[in-house]
Amino acid sequence: MSLNPATLARVQFAFTVSFHIIFPTMSIGLAMFLAVIEGLWLKTKDVLYLQIYRFWLSIFAMGFGVGVVTGIVLSFEFGLGFSRFAQLAGPAIGPLIALEVLTSFFLEAGFLGIMLFGMHRVGPKLHYCATCMVALGTLLSASWILSANSWMQTPDGVAVRNDRLVVVSWWHVLNNPSWLVRLPHMLSAAYLTASFLVAGVGAWYLLRGKHLAFAKKSVALGTAFGTVLIAGQVFIGDILYGTMLKHQPSKMQAAEGFWEKESASPAPYYWVILPDQKGQRNRFALGIPHLGSIWLTHSLHGRVEGLKNTPPDRQPIMGMVFYGFRIMYGIAILMFAAATSSLWLRWKHRLYTTTWFLRFLIAMTPSGIIATLGGWYLAETGRQPWVIFGLLRTIDAVSPVPAQTLLATLIAFVCIYAFFMVAFLFFVARIIRRGPDLALAQADASGSLKNAFRPHVLDSANANAVAGR
Amino acid sequence: MDLPLFCAGFAALSVALYVLLDGFDLGVGALLLLQPHEKSRDHMVDSITPTWDGNETWLIMTGVTLLAAFPVAYGILMPALYIPIIVMLLALGLRGVTFEFRGQMRPYRRRWDVIFAIGSIVAACMQGLILGALIEGISIDGVTFSGSVFDCFHPFPLLCALCVLEGYVVLGGCWLQFKTSALLHRFSVRTLRIALPLFLLTFFVVGGVALLVQPGIRAAWQIHPLLLGTVDCTLLIAAFILFNSIGKRPDVRPLAAGMVMIASGIAGIAILVFPMVVPFRVSIWNASSSRLSQIFLLTGAIVVTPVVLGYSFFAYWVFRGKTPEKGWDG
Repeated sequence: MSLNPATLARVQFAFTVSFHIIFPTMSIGLAMFLAVIEGLWLKTKDVLYLQIYRFWLSIFAMGFGVGVVTGIVLSFEFGLGFSRFAQLAGPAIGPLIALEVLTSFFLEAGFLGIMLFGMHRVGPKLHYCATCMVALGTLLSASWILSANSWMQTPDGVAVRNDRLVVVSWWHVLNNPSWLVRLPHMLSAAYLTASFLVAGVGAWYLLRGKHLAFAKKSVALGTAFGTVLIAGQVFIGDILYGTMLKHQPSKMQAAEGFWEKESASPAPYYWVILPDQKGQRNRFALGIPHLGSIWLTHSLHGRVEGLKNTPPDRQPIMGMVFYGFRIMYGIAILMFAAATSSLWLRWKHRLYTTTWFLRFLIAMTPSGIIATLGGWYLAETGRQPWVIFGLLRTIDAVSPVPAQTLLATLIAFVCIYAFFMVAFLFFVARIIRRGPDLALAQADASGSLKNAFRPHVLDSANANAVAGR
Repeated sequence: MDLPLFCAGFAALSVALYVLLDGFDLGVGALLLLQPHEKSRDHMVDSITPTWDGNETWLIMTGVTLLAAFPVAYGILMPALYIPIIVMLLALGLRGVTFEFRGQMRPYRRRWDVIFAIGSIVAACMQGLILGALIEGISIDGVTFSGSVFDCFHPFPLLCALCVLEGYVVLGGCWLQFKTSALLHRFSVRTLRIALPLFLLTFFVVGGVALLVQPGIRAAWQIHPLLLGTVDCTLLIAAFILFNSIGKRPDVRPLAAGMVMIASGIAGIAILVFPMVVPFRVSIWNASSSRLSQIFLLTGAIVVTPVVLGYSFFAYWVFRGKTPEKGWDG
């Protein structure tokens, strides 16, 4: 394969943005979870909540750190790899991202220090405010960046004059047709991610018979939040499907795996396809009969539109869009199964003792992250060949940087990000292995909470030795 | 109303705050390499841990302000400065994760500290390289970068890299004197006594060479001799006060003097390149984004920046005084 700057710039952006989104997804979810938990602690004074808070705070802090440093890269990468895009889209998305930095990055950064190190300097109430500010910061951040990305999906409020983009209505740029549907979808995804992380770790302790009080609370909270959220998510997802079908039919045509202008009736729901983009057909397709008509057209014999409705030079690559969607959707079904099982088991009082269910929860620990990645692949590859849908093709947006340089920096990114990921997973695994007692012992031994309440059963001398500071 | 001018003002404010605030963070990071005692290194990192993230956010603010207000310039500069920007971002990334990771791993803390120091040094040097490349001038054709991505590795930008690193080390030394006592205090005194003269020497060499490599600088000196002279005098007076207050009370004086010194340097550069956003090539008016975009950006900036400055100050206030020897948890 010859080195093509456009391909390399796209691979580099795809790699760095995919890596990055893992961490904000966790941070948005965990920040809200931490705010809820600290609120419960302040209200009930139950030490268990504090234990949960301290435990997840240390994981949150590391994930947040990786999210910040990989996020800085993105704010420059618009121009590094795609300078024509930056020059054209800057007037529309630039101010949105600038407002994101102003209203959210600074908020998070300003209060994160207090959240992590300030408990005994400001007291529990003000500390709770700091936690809430960080959670609010993550929420605002998601809102602005989703608005910017949604504008690229469904641009509105602008006109092109002399090759430059002019904003004619801010309201329409900000509140473009897909923003207010995609935002709740992403927020629920982040909160679901946190719910399944928490439940998975709790289930792991339960199966090992360790830290039982902590583990039960984690499973109870995780599955409860997860159940409510997945119910809402199915509903939001359905609305979003309709929105995208209206504004980006090519994306949804590719997502369902049909080529012909109209599918057979009744349409199957494909799970595995082997698309042949050149021949505009599937070499192989496997699906569940009738289900396509029922799910997609809400009727028994409805026909589904295929990708041939879009001219070939405006088609996305079907394989990527289709599998991005199937990964997200498949995991959503598994989450739904976990949620319904949890309701049943809770009713039967067997939530903490059913081994298969706990194993299932452990397997589902990273499910939210994988589903989110799948969803973003659907969103971003489905928008191709456009970078701004209908306005600018990705191929025309690439920077005048030589292919060799792009390749060298891509390799550097892969190596350093792999190092980040290995270190992050290693430390998270260690925190989980050490267990939550230590998290609380650290807090106790350090005196952060001396005035909040007296220490209890923990061997703080031992904890100090392990904690190392 | 001259919107591009106000946007340029906001971008300049972001750069200045970034250099002044993250400058001492990076300086402290670079100094880790010279500090043999692990306890002291812990203490140095602790002194910047609670507030580094906010400081670094001004860098993002700068980049994004360019994107929003001067997209044409952003689209020229990013490819032109491709290599130093990516190396800087990776170095800042390595350094940023080390804040969290070094605390997790006692046996390997020394290795993390080396990563931290090298990340800080490389990031500082790349920022100097960017400054140098901007002053030397970027090749453009219309609104597109037309030079080579290796243009920034000329001797002059390399000299600027050294100068910026030394400036940050001076700020780092001032910060340590402000936030620490005893052993580290003496370490910072020794550092400042060496780093400050070196920085001043390099700074004036850079100033001289700039006159040779960039005709635009000579022109600017002819247009604003008095203004630039005043700025240079302020810088020298601040440097003099700084040198005389090393190791003396109040501990905050060197930091204040160091900040004034570096701020005068930034002001000088701003006067030299004004009103260009791609120095000596594209003016702020030619690179401007649409009018409504700039109004949106400025409205946000005017409303939110005071709040940001307020709670950033609050965060510093919470962690005021000398950094505890046992760390913030202790």
